[in-house]
Amino acid sequence: MKISRIVFTFVCTIALALSASSQTRPTATASAKPAAAPAPSAPVPIAIRGGKLLTITHGVIENGVVVIEGGKIIAVGAAASVTIPRNAHIIEAAGMTVYPGMIDSMSHLGLTEISAVEMTNDMVEASDEIMPHMHVTDAFHAESELIPVTRMNGVTNAIVSPSSRDTLPGQMAFIQLDGRSSDEMLLVRDISMPLNFTGQQRRNESFASSKYPSTRMGMAAQLRQAFIDAQDYAQKWDEYNKKSADATKDKKDAPTAPKRDLKLEALVPYLQGKKPVLLTAEEPSDIKVAMRLAKEFNLKAILGDLVYSRNILDEIAASKLPVIVGSIYDAPKGDERYDTVFSIPAELQKRGVKIAFGSWGDTHNARNIPYAAGYAVAYGLPWDEALKAVTLNAAEIWGLADKLGSLDVGKTANLVISNGDPLDMKTDVKRVFINGREIPMRSRQTDLRDAYSH
Amino acid sequence: MLQSKKIFMVLALAVMLLISMSGLAQMSPKPAPVDTVIKNGTILTVTHGVIHNGSILIRNGKIAEVGQSVTVPPGAVVIDATGKFVMPGIIDSHSHLALDSDVNEATSPVTPHMMMLDAFDYTDKAIYHTLAGGVTTSLLLHGSANMIGGQAVIIKHKFGLDRDELLFPNAPRSIKFASGENPKRVYGGRNQLPSTRMGNFAVQRAALQEAREYMRDWDAYDEKVKKGDKDAKAPKRDLKLEALADILRGKLMVQIHCYRADEFLNEMAMAKEFGYKIRAFHHGLEVYKVADKVAAEYVGLATFADWWGYKHEAWDAIPWNAVMSMRKGVTVSIKSDSNDFARRLNQEAAKTMRYGGATEEEALKMITLNAAWILGIDDRVGSIEVGKDADITIWNNHPLSSYGRVEKTLIDGTVFFDSSLPGLGLPFWHGGAMSGAGGFGNDDGEVR
Repeated sequence: MKISRIVFTFVCTIALALSASSQTRPTATASAKPAAAPAPSAPVPIAIRGGKLLTITHGVIENGVVVIEGGKIIAVGAAASVTIPRNAHIIEAAGMTVYPGMIDSMSHLGLTEISAVEMTNDMVEASDEIMPHMHVTDAFHAESELIPVTRMNGVTNAIVSPSSRDTLPGQMAFIQLDGRSSDEMLLVRDISMPLNFTGQQRRNESFASSKYPSTRMGMAAQLRQAFIDAQDYAQKWDEYNKKSADATKDKKDAPTAPKRDLKLEALVPYLQGKKPVLLTAEEPSDIKVAMRLAKEFNLKAILGDLVYSRNILDEIAASKLPVIVGSIYDAPKGDERYDTVFSIPAELQKRGVKIAFGSWGDTHNARNIPYAAGYAVAYGLPWDEALKAVTLNAAEIWGLADKLGSLDVGKTANLVISNGDPLDMKTDVKRVFINGREIPMRSRQTDLRDAYSH
Repeated sequence: MLQSKKIFMVLALAVMLLISMSGLAQMSPKPAPVDTVIKNGTILTVTHGVIHNGSILIRNGKIAEVGQSVTVPPGAVVIDATGKFVMPGIIDSHSHLALDSDVNEATSPVTPHMMMLDAFDYTDKAIYHTLAGGVTTSLLLHGSANMIGGQAVIIKHKFGLDRDELLFPNAPRSIKFASGENPKRVYGGRNQLPSTRMGNFAVQRAALQEAREYMRDWDAYDEKVKKGDKDAKAPKRDLKLEALADILRGKLMVQIHCYRADEFLNEMAMAKEFGYKIRAFHHGLEVYKVADKVAAEYVGLATFADWWGYKHEAWDAIPWNAVMSMRKGVTVSIKSDSNDFARRLNQEAAKTMRYGGATEEEALKMITLNAAWILGIDDRVGSIEVGKDADITIWNNHPLSSYGRVEKTLIDGTVFFDSSLPGLGLPFWHGGAMSGAGGFGNDDGEVR
């Protein structure tokens, strides 16, 4: 077992080293091919032929062809309409289903390894509640064993978020689940930040040891003050920049710059509406507080969780804000009907809300995100809308629809080939491409399986 | 006449309302068994294949006939299952639901005299939520804080009836053992024994040794009495030792929370040393490493489909565990250990088809017949066979798919959940607040 592990590591290293340079297009050699013999990553185009294409944007194409080259999709269509480049490596996909890689819109991938082992977790800086200067990019662990496990099931991209222990735990990142280093995997740094209103951020473990903010009033006041301070800070810098420009123009001495404050500085792009905040709350009252605060500071917002928001769904729809739905497996509160939470995605979608799914706290099984979407179908969400929620909707919500979320020419070649319905747990994912590179279908788990399969 | 009848009805209703408001009549009377025919469904029998356009006759709460066509007695209730899937009720072989926060008597590492029945809260809404997910029977276990925990209770999910109506009649007794990180953490955290795996097993061995002596004293006493010794003095009864002695006497099935390969071997060696049988390893995420050895001792496995990485001893978990172990001869069930998974065990079972290639029937067995075996009730439930309890679920789609949703759950031939009913879908729940916080319902709130 030990030997096979070493061999595996060795093979993997070569494969990764090769793949990492898909932009520089090295010549693939036979020896670098992992055991499953995936297609060479470059420089020849790859044509996936004969599969059922779920394009997301232009319907289902039976017997379709997708051609990828240089990390991008260069052709998509019915077999008859696509000319396969003569030098293309061909993958026969008859009987298979081909679709864009899935996006997990709320995960902690790269921030946790073993939940109960503290030293393997970098989920949240719990010493204070307002931590906009924490960047998950500073903790993101590219070599996390969770990442191969997740991508093997067709999840190619994810939001990485700090956990919700703080009101404002820090800046999230958008990743692709392949790359030699964190630099290659972190596609968008500081893409957004969560503002958490679930009540769990209170510092009131016990009455004797509670500290501010120990109530919802405290948390809201603290957050509001942070944004007010950031407004003042931005104004100070605006004034300085103006004076500084004037001084340059008038050839006078430059004014003294205000002291930089990383915490407040991190809030400024949000006050300027350059990035969205993710407002997470479960209960109607908390959602209202969150939405009002966002309005006060003119924040661009995405809503998150909302599992107990059933009686204000119309109001949520009227806000026109997109929603990353929380775990639909949460038990209903009070004496509500058993399916109250299961049907939240369907009820939101019915009202015209753009929804996406996240794995939330279940990072180890972020691979199961298609099944949550599938279960929402059992409770009323149209199937194509469920598939869209884990692909294109997510890409749109995170501002990446020009690159991700559908089988369209020009988009990043993040593709999944499976033997069936992407939302059904019986379906076996056969091959996965991320940024045009076929990833090895191996993980720590397959390694253990193979070691004990004799 | 009509008028007085009306008045009587209004009065009766008012009285019923008053009684129900007072909470006195919250529980319905035991339903009388009615002949019922489930007609024209796709029947997933679990033991003898799939019957297309099949029917089931239920009489006196038992399955009386199964087949392409069955007798339809006059006056029978007919449930049309055209286009539906019919399978046995799901059996959860590891649950902590409806125990409020009384899962762990974590004040001593040996508490075999704890009876989960004493904590069982039959109005907990988790029973309803899981009933709506097709679960008809659950094994409610003590938590994993103690090396030897308490004695389990098996329930049928007849939500809305009085407590004793929910108890599985004449159920075999099970006791919970644990091992590994949880006892270590709980007692080590207080600077008590055990704080290591050595300590864990030392505590267990010491308790069993004490039980051996207790049993010997009682056996000697019984022997004297049998011989007519009127002066024989009975040893002092000790509930704790009595329960432990029952393990050695084979009266309790031992269900062990256990994660690591080395611990399975240690547990099986200790069972041999003291002469008891282990019924199943629970969680058992590494059974795939020593499956042949586990199978050789006829120890079952109650495991998760794909959970891993939540603690160090769950780091080597792989989703192929269930099927790899099954192929080596281990009786495997997929269990919940959670109020959440318990609502969709069908989906968890479906994952075994993808990870390792279980057949539909094998996957279904893991949440029905195999689970029943682990509980010791496989002769009475767990498949659609003549003579078994009519614990049956009816689904809109195949239960082994993302899209399967329970439409009706029958227990002992009576419909206890019907999604088409207005409101909660519960024919026997007559108002009143349900209890239960709807929490996760696992061993110790966080770490399994």
